[in-house]
Amino acid sequence: MKFLISLAFKNLTRYKRRTLITAGAIAVGLMMYIFIDSMLMGAEIESVRNLKWYETASARILNEEYWENRHQKPLDISIKNPDKIIRKLEENGIMATKRMTFSGDLILNSDDFGEDGNLPVSVTAIDPERDSDVFEFGSTLMDGRFLESGEDGVLIGSWFAEDIGAKVGYWITFVGRGNAGYVAMDLEIVGILNCPNPNVNRTLLMMPIATADEYLAMDGAATEINVALPENADVDSDVIRIQELLNGDNLTVMSWKAMAADYLALAEAKRGGSGMILFLIFIIAAVGISNTMLMAIFERIKELGMMRSLGMSDGKILLAFMIEGAGIGIIGSVVGVLLGIIANFILINVGIDYSFILRDMDIGYRIQAIFRGVWNPGTMIKAAILSVLFSTLFAVVPTFRAIRTDIPACLRHQ
Amino acid sequence: MIKVENVVRNYHAGETVVRALRGVSLEILKGEFVSIAGPSGSGKTTLLNLIGCIDQMDGGEISIKDEVISTMKKKEKTNFRRINLGFIFQTYNLIPVLTAYENVAFVLSLLNLPEKEVNDRTMAILKEVGLEGMEHRRPSRLSGGQQQRVAIARALVKNPEIILADEPTANLDSETGKEILDLMKEMNEKHKTTFIFSTHDSMVMDYASRLVMLHDGQIFSDKRR
Repeated sequence: MKFLISLAFKNLTRYKRRTLITAGAIAVGLMMYIFIDSMLMGAEIESVRNLKWYETASARILNEEYWENRHQKPLDISIKNPDKIIRKLEENGIMATKRMTFSGDLILNSDDFGEDGNLPVSVTAIDPERDSDVFEFGSTLMDGRFLESGEDGVLIGSWFAEDIGAKVGYWITFVGRGNAGYVAMDLEIVGILNCPNPNVNRTLLMMPIATADEYLAMDGAATEINVALPENADVDSDVIRIQELLNGDNLTVMSWKAMAADYLALAEAKRGGSGMILFLIFIIAAVGISNTMLMAIFERIKELGMMRSLGMSDGKILLAFMIEGAGIGIIGSVVGVLLGIIANFILINVGIDYSFILRDMDIGYRIQAIFRGVWNPGTMIKAAILSVLFSTLFAVVPTFRAIRTDIPACLRHQ
Repeated sequence: MIKVENVVRNYHAGETVVRALRGVSLEILKGEFVSIAGPSGSGKTTLLNLIGCIDQMDGGEISIKDEVISTMKKKEKTNFRRINLGFIFQTYNLIPVLTAYENVAFVLSLLNLPEKEVNDRTMAILKEVGLEGMEHRRPSRLSGGQQQRVAIARALVKNPEIILADEPTANLDSETGKEILDLMKEMNEKHKTTFIFSTHDSMVMDYASRLVMLHDGQIFSDKRR
């Protein structure tokens, strides 16, 4: 065994260029694997965080019938006593805030916007004093100020503001249907939010719930209560716990996973697609390594013939070449992991700015601009071990082919 | 020691059948220094390969030390070669990444001998073939004659009863060729090892104690001297 290891090592140094090229192919493949895996995992983690922070919260309490009709944003299917429920949740150590979502038309006046116009919008009415207990909009303010309770003010997403040419201090008119019929609200843009969740930033209009309540005659009702749960909480069991607390109130609790089922399905599909790309990278590397091993073995076929004629068993010959393959795999893996760490370090600290795509296109991820990676030592170790294992196995087929060649033919080989 | 009886070996090149050996029979005694001679294509190498258990015959029988090798399975042949046979090749066939010492010790490592015995036997045989002080040189730093000496040492180190050499001097100049033949002869006399070597060189034939001439796959003369 010692001799075989020594022989394999010497052969690796004998064919330096080939060893380096093959190990280089493994290293590049491994680096790409680590890099892509890190980027996808980073994108998923950030997307989930941005979903919870800006879109769904950890969980949401709704009227039992609301979810089915959510696209119409009905105000009559509401939670009648949200404050009482929030107090109950607080007594049980759960932070929550009420919201109201409704749709209507946004009227733009030529005085501020240069020309008259209107467009359909969705407005989220929030409790400015409690919203930051659950959501993270407070830190996304890029211009103006945050909402104050009861004012005729509105916050707007920066991309939305850019699209309609809105600025802080401009006035907009919202026309919608409340419980007492159609209403028109004149609202001043008090602030512009740069929300990291592109789906939100593209359409965001937020106003104080007290103001909306008055205009829309909601009589203190809300369409949803959003709940914040700790980062590492078991959401599903917490949802059951909250549901038990609400027992008999004709309400339902949905986890962020249930609300973002579309996103999760998309993420799963992307993982599958990315897995396919990684598999293709792997196949290309595999063909390269296999071909190199084949060349290496057939270049030494005369040497193989000599070894076999001197009584070296087929098993030992196979082992010798497998050790050589493993050696290439180890070099490739070490270099690949090192390159992967460097690439990942840059990805985590600098990231890749995809804003040129994400500004106008929804690719499903809740990331506004920069994709960052995450450290995942498990992937690195797994990928390195698999690289060594596969490069070892890739030596088997060409070695078998060489062993099947009869010894005189091996000795005659030029 | 070696009995070759009515051995036939055919090669197929497409639809053409090349009859390399046409019923060769031969008996070689222990300690003989036999030259298998003949022109190119006469079947010299084929005969050596069959005696060396590295080729399959199409007819006849070969037995070595009363063991019929023609019926042996692949694994048995490998074991038989490892213990009983030594090979010397025309192009030396040394492993280029190994030193002279390692090339010789390689054969003993296949026998799973203790490290000390491997070292002692390797150093002794290298000294015997005149390579003392060159143990750590790689083949690329040895002359053709020195490389063939390593090959001889490699063949002899496990004390085989038979050494098969296919045109051992063909790649050497005549002076070096003579030195190698002298060394082979010396080893033959000293260790009583049976040497069977192929050649088409008359100078090499002169060294043999027995000259077997092949022509078109058949023996047409077999003379002891």
